[in-house]
This record gives sequence, structure tokens and C-alpha cells, in this order.
Amino acid sequence: MTDEATKENTQKTSETMIRLEDLSKVFPGQDEPAVDDLSMDIYEGEIVVLVGPSGCGKTTTMKMINRLIEPSSGRIFLQGEDVTKVNSDKLRRRIGYVIQQIGLFPHMTIADNIATVPKMLGWDKERISDRTDELLETVGIDLSYRDRYPKELSGGQRQRIGVARAMAADPSVLLMDEPFGAIDPITRDRLQDEFLRLQREIKKTIVFVTHDIDEAIKMGDRIAILKHQSKIAQYDTPEKILTDPADDFVADFIGAGASIKRLSLSRVEDIEPADWPVASLSDGYEHVQEKMRSTEKGYVLLLDDGDRPSRWVSAEDIEHDDVPLEEAGRPAVAIVEASSSLYTTLDTMITSYKGSAIVVDGEGHYQGVVDFDTVLEAINAMRPEEQTRDRAKRDVQTGDGGR
Amino acid sequence: MTSQAKTSGPQGAARLLRYLTMPIFLGLACLALYLYVSSQNLDSIEQRSLNPSAIIEQTGRLIELAGISTVIVVVLGVTTGVLLTRPYTRRVTPFVIGLANIGQAVPSIGLLALFALTWDFGFWPAIVALVAYSFLSILRNTMVGLQQVDSSIIEAARGMGMTKLAVLFRIELPLAVPIILAGIRTALIINVGTATLVTFIGAGGLGEMINNAIRLDRTVVLITASGLTAILALFIDWLAGVAEDILRPRGL
Repeated sequence: MTDEATKENTQKTSETMIRLEDLSKVFPGQDEPAVDDLSMDIYEGEIVVLVGPSGCGKTTTMKMINRLIEPSSGRIFLQGEDVTKVNSDKLRRRIGYVIQQIGLFPHMTIADNIATVPKMLGWDKERISDRTDELLETVGIDLSYRDRYPKELSGGQRQRIGVARAMAADPSVLLMDEPFGAIDPITRDRLQDEFLRLQREIKKTIVFVTHDIDEAIKMGDRIAILKHQSKIAQYDTPEKILTDPADDFVADFIGAGASIKRLSLSRVEDIEPADWPVASLSDGYEHVQEKMRSTEKGYVLLLDDGDRPSRWVSAEDIEHDDVPLEEAGRPAVAIVEASSSLYTTLDTMITSYKGSAIVVDGEGHYQGVVDFDTVLEAINAMRPEEQTRDRAKRDVQTGDGGR
Repeated sequence: MTSQAKTSGPQGAARLLRYLTMPIFLGLACLALYLYVSSQNLDSIEQRSLNPSAIIEQTGRLIELAGISTVIVVVLGVTTGVLLTRPYTRRVTPFVIGLANIGQAVPSIGLLALFALTWDFGFWPAIVALVAYSFLSILRNTMVGLQQVDSSIIEAARGMGMTKLAVLFRIELPLAVPIILAGIRTALIINVGTATLVTFIGAGGLGEMINNAIRLDRTVVLITASGLTAILALFIDWLAGVAEDILRPRGL
């Protein structure tokens, strides 16, 4: 809670990058506006996800920011400057743009594709070339692809080039219209992770459109849930939206399992792992037996020389030293990295035989053990007030204790 | 544009061989024609028709007719095609295509007669008739070529701040080049073929030789003239094919 409060405070003080003021769009020949009187502030360095059912006007809203669609009324501010009436071509060169179909130019090499905006801005050749190399490295594409053509790339590689091209002239704002929508689920997951890692370095202001609430929760620093005609149902952090949906529309849109989804927002490193008796394989039987007597847990975790989890042993397993310690008990499985989400951790715990997961760092060194109790405690600690209030609300609505 | 074709390796060699087959075949055909004519006893009329300077003049005339009309029709057809695919011309598009359709639907000889009657006999009316006749193939291919460009590519280009004109010249036209070139090739073939008919409105060319040979019943002249026309048509088609390969943007 304190964590969220400080986060919110810093966000409030950070600069508004994009301000939309009373923005409306009525397409010619239509009576109803596609976007009706929308106002919102987008803060610097944040990923803001516009999410809503199809046809709600989220893409129209996004395209009004770089004026691919000219607003019928209202004003757009970029870094405090009113850009509603400036030259739209020049405006767009200041804003990165990534679309679902990517739209790489098939007749140009990868390098030429990336150089599109820098060329228009009149950069010299050397600067463009250096920047191209830098971007290829950033998005993890081998430099040998420079002179290849888009058709020689896989879908995931094209998406990376699309992102590199959008960032070529280092714009402070990126618009992304379902950028991972046309990619297979496994690659999509990887690209999302990569992109989040990248964003931690580059700190761009990103407007991200999707219809997938799970993607919104994963990607967004803030989520704007849009109703028909781009009316904002709720504009808040994913945590707030999941724990405190503003109305039935938002609750319906999040769908079932909001609490489970919320688990994907916390990392196992944020919670205190339970203390667990450990011993080293090289310590020998006596030491392990000693450990076992001094604990009530019933199991001791054995680590190998590299401090990596190796075996679980119970008191029975080490009663007699007839097998070497390396083969005693059961192999230590259900291992999660400290950076994994609670969602993944819980999933691992459920499939493990003891209902606990071993936490390791990036190199596989033992960090601690989490079990159901630890996770439940952590969840309860995250939002005590909200939960009691939620429960009270449900009690009133349904007349029983809820689900 | 840096995307010009470069031949290299075994693929390049195979391509070179493929390119050389047609000229070799046409050269042999020319030789055969020459040997055939040399083996015949020519009378005075035949001798007058079949001397080198006359043949070169008539062949040159045919190339001139087909070449000039094609250049004009390419400029007109591509420009019109570009204009008709812009959003603001949506209303007039069906009308212009209908007009071009009439140009091609009327039999070529009828079109020629129409121009001769309403305007004049000679070279320029013949050129105008050829242009009218082959206009549709270029117009249609230009429009199809531009329309088949993936709209997401154009959206990406506009979204990055390219002006409409830059999108046309750097994205749309290069991507439409293969289809436009195919249209130009068709127009060239149509023009070479139809140019043999313009003799009927007094514009000369190899058609005149064919026509005279038929009227005077001179088989040797007829075979020579029609043989040369066929060789010329195949050669121009081959040239256009090579141009298509070279000018097609890489990466497509």
C-alpha cells in the first residue's frame, strides 16, 4: 500500500507528456461520434494501455495523437505544446509508430527501413549508420541482417525491426497499435518481456492499444479501460483496476479471476521467503541429521557445492547412511527465479509435491523457500483495507460470504 | 534507390543463359530468312522490295511507330493511373476506365479508320490510334499495381511522417513497378502488332511491305516481311522481359 502510494505520488509530480483535451471525432457520413469528448493526461516515461472491446474507438483515439486521424474537435498537447494544428507530417516524425501488421517496406533493406525517419530529418550518413547498428543491437538482431530484405525475416524478427524503426530518431513518444497481436503466443510472450526490459532502459512514453486485458495488465504502468465512443470507464494502475474496478463494465471486462491476474503483478522477490533448514551435500550425514533434529519442518534442503538446490530429505531418508547424500530423498524440483511473478510461483507450487517452491537468483543460487502460507500472507498484506471493504460489499450484494 | 539487380554466382550464370537463348534463336531465324531469300530468283518487283535500304527503312518505321506510341502511352497511362487511384478522383474513375475500355474494344483497324476519317492520314494519326488502343493495358496495370500495395505499408509510412508525395514515389510506385512493367510489355506487343496495320492509313512500316506483297502476289516478299515482323515482335518482347527482371525492386 505504501509502495503504491509513493508510486502514485511520483507519477503525479512527473511531467505530462501528452494531454488530450475534449477530443472528439465524427467520421463523415456518421451520426454518432467514434470518440466523444475524451480528455486524458499521459505521463512521461509510462506505458499507458488503451484497452476496450472492439469498436470502442481506442485505435481512433491513438491515431488522433499523431493525427493520422484528424480530430473533429478538441486539442492535443505534446510536451506542453499545442500540436493540434502544426504540420502533421513533421509532427509524426517526432512520434514513433508501430502497428500490428508492422508494415516494413519490402523493397528496402533492413537498414534502409530503420533509416526512414532519420533520412527525412536530414541526418548525415555516418550518424544514420551508427544509429542503425545501435538499434539492431538493442532489439537483438544480428548486424549481418543489415542488408537483408524483410521477407527473409521471421515474424518475431520483423516485429523487432518494426520497433527499431519506430525508435530510429529517438522519439520521446511511441504509439503502438496491437504490436504483438499477429504473433504466436510463445513468441509474443518473449517479445513482451524483451520490450518491458528495453523500456526500463529507454523510458519512453508509450501509448499502447490492445483488446487483450491480460496484455494490458502485463504491459501497462497505467490502463485506460474504454467504453463505447472512447469514454473512459477507469484510468488507473493495473493494481487499482484489478482490486477496485470502478464499475460493472470494468469488472466484466477484467473477467473472472481478477485476484489471480493480480498475482502476475507481484514478484516473488517482493515477498519474504520462509526460513528453511538447509545443509550442504558435502557436510555429511551427521550434520544433516543434526539439522533435522533442530527443525520442525520435517524436511531439509540439500545444496550442492555451487549453492544450488539439489535434494529434499526427510528424517526417514537420512536415518541410515546406506546411500550417498547425493541420492538420498527426492530431487529438488519446483524452482523459481526471484524475478518470477507470484502467478508463476503459485503455479509451480501447485504442481510440486510438497506445495512449496525454492527461490533462486539469476545464477541458480539458493535464496529461500516460499510455500502457500507465505504467498497467502503476502497477498493479504498487499491490500488489507481493500479486501475487507470488498468482502463487505460482496456480503451486502449477495447476502453471503461471497465465493 | 539502392535496389538494382546484381547477378552473381551460379544463379547469375543460369540467368545469363536464359537471357541469351532468345537472341540466338532470333539470329538463327534471321539467317534462315536471308539464306531463303538468297536462294530464290528475284524478279524486278521483288528486287525493289527486298533491297537492304528498303527493308531497313520499313523496319525502322515500324520500330519508330511502336516506340514513340509506347513512350507516349506509358507517360499518359501511368500518370492517369496514379491520379485515378488517389482518393479525390474516386468519382471519375469508372468513367475514365469506361473510356479506355472503348479504346480497346473497338477493333484496331476500325479505330485506325476512325482516326483517318475524322482527322487525317499519316504518321501522327497512326500514333494517336496506337496510344488509344494500348492505353487500357497500362492504365489498368498501373491501377492494379498501386491498389495491391498493402495498406498497412502505406499506413506505416504515413505514420512515420512521410508526405503523401514521398509515399507515392518511394513506396507505392516502386512496389507497383513489377505490375506496371508487365502492362508496358503488353502495350509494346500490342503496338508492334497494330503498327503493321497503320499502312492502311498511309503511315508505312513493314505492314506496307506485307500489304504490297499480298496485292502483287509475291510470296518471297510476303515471307520476308512477315518473318521480319515476327522476329521484331519477339525481340521487343524479349527486351521488355529483360527490363522487367532488371527493374523489379529487390526484396519483392
